[in-house]
Amino acid sequence: MNSQPLMLLRLTTSPTEEVGATPHGTLSIFPVTGGSFEGERLRGKVLAGGGDWVTGKADETLELDLRVTLETDDGALIYMTFTGLRDDAHHYFRTLPRFETAASKYAFLNRLLAVGIGEIRTEGPVHIIEEIL
Amino acid sequence: MNTRLLMMLHVNVTTPQNVGAVPHGTRRIAPISGGVFEGTRLRGTVLPGGSADWLLRRADDVLEMDLRVTLRTHDGALISMRSFGLRHGPPDVIAAIGRGEPVNPATYYFRTTPRFQTAHPAYGFLNRLVAVASGDRRAEGPIYTIHELL
Repeated sequence: MNSQPLMLLRLTTSPTEEVGATPHGTLSIFPVTGGSFEGERLRGKVLAGGGDWVTGKADETLELDLRVTLETDDGALIYMTFTGLRDDAHHYFRTLPRFETAASKYAFLNRLLAVGIGEIRTEGPVHIIEEIL
Repeated sequence: MNTRLLMMLHVNVTTPQNVGAVPHGTRRIAPISGGVFEGTRLRGTVLPGGSADWLLRRADDVLEMDLRVTLRTHDGALISMRSFGLRHGPPDVIAAIGRGEPVNPATYYFRTTPRFQTAHPAYGFLNRLVAVASGDRRAEGPIYTIHELL
């Protein structure tokens, strides 16, 4: 499978909201307070208000469910979601981002699937996102 | 993006159920009557019950695919696979697919992102991976080349 770089996404988060043990696992919500994204075709900032709903499962892996709004440097809004899997025991942190936008300049995002490689840094999560060609 | 081949999956689709115009687009459901999958780490058949592809033709002519199939390995494990996908391409190519004609899969975009769930310990590795697939729509049903995302 071929891919090409789409963006580097940096998120900042506020303290986790620990919902606790639910029927599906242990739910932690990571509120997103901001961030930035940068790629050849788009760049801008992450708006506050999104989050990552993270469910810890019985096999020690984390199921990710993120929603954020991106604002490009020319004013377009892009709704981004991903589901993903984080397995710290195997150093595996992969996501499947999807995008929705009404801005014609960025409509290519509506038509692509992507994969992300995530990493937790001291300043917050960083995701290297590539378009699946 | 580093990947390695997980399996080839052939599914057989039967007569679609044309639900029609819904608020999100045009909904069509393609029931799956069976199929086979084969890779170095797993192989088996697709179960017909509860396997289908829920298709939505959007206003921008992109086809959203929401596939759910149950796989049974040669040694009896059940694996639930779900994948979201997108398919789009030049109108003449998409029309040819609609007529059931053979079409070179390089001429259109047909990509999906499978996830797996199983309770069988021999296949537990599937619970812990994310996959990407390219599709090739044949008259009898799609063939998916599924790669594990490393």
